[in-house]
Amino acid sequence: MTPRRPYYLNLREIRLPLGGWVSILHRASGAAMALAAPLFLYAWMCSLESAEGFGAVASFFSGGLGWLIGLGFLWALLHHFFAGLRHLGFDLGWGEEKERARFTALLSLVTALGLTGLMTLGSLL
Amino acid sequence: MRRVGGAHRGLDMWLMQRASALYMALFLVVFAGLLLAAGGLDYQSWRGLFRPLAMKVASLLFAAALLAHAWIGLREIFIDYLRVMAIRLPLLFLFGVLYLGCLVWAADILWSVP
Repeated sequence: MTPRRPYYLNLREIRLPLGGWVSILHRASGAAMALAAPLFLYAWMCSLESAEGFGAVASFFSGGLGWLIGLGFLWALLHHFFAGLRHLGFDLGWGEEKERARFTALLSLVTALGLTGLMTLGSLL
Repeated sequence: MRRVGGAHRGLDMWLMQRASALYMALFLVVFAGLLLAAGGLDYQSWRGLFRPLAMKVASLLFAAALLAHAWIGLREIFIDYLRVMAIRLPLLFLFGVLYLGCLVWAADILWSVP
């Protein structure tokens, strides 16, 4: 008989360590960008095709829903980037100790959020 | 045991995921530097960025790395959540075709910048 392991997925009760959140967000941001890849290819094509296309893409991302999408994409890219660097560190055997892993989890989370905030502020000024 | 669509081709996929990640990380840092150096971008300078052959080649390699990375990532998720092969395999096929198409599309976009 296989041992009965705890199986507990109540999302309002579950308590993940910080590394768990960074990991889930790494997967979620990756999945979102993977699904959106053809759409960004389309935007890239339009932006290079003509001056009007460039203007249309620029104005789409400068206000309303497009601005929100751009913001979400920026965060997804940055979070995936920094959480990914953390994983490359693990692959090299760096940062696997509990304290250091917890610190780099916090660092990647905060750096991605902070840079997203700074760049958003920069685009508003 | 190895089986079609299963999770036991992990090491090749693992290495490919790291190699593509490394290339993308280096490209993005250089690209961000180029964008910062260019200052405010208009249509002409944006196009000018993709004019040199070296930039076209580096960008196409970036697209290839990204699409391979995306496909392997989706495969990881499908292995976790789509336990029925009759669903998992057609989806992997679909995204494989879609992403290979995207790669050809990216080449067309890049080489239509004179």
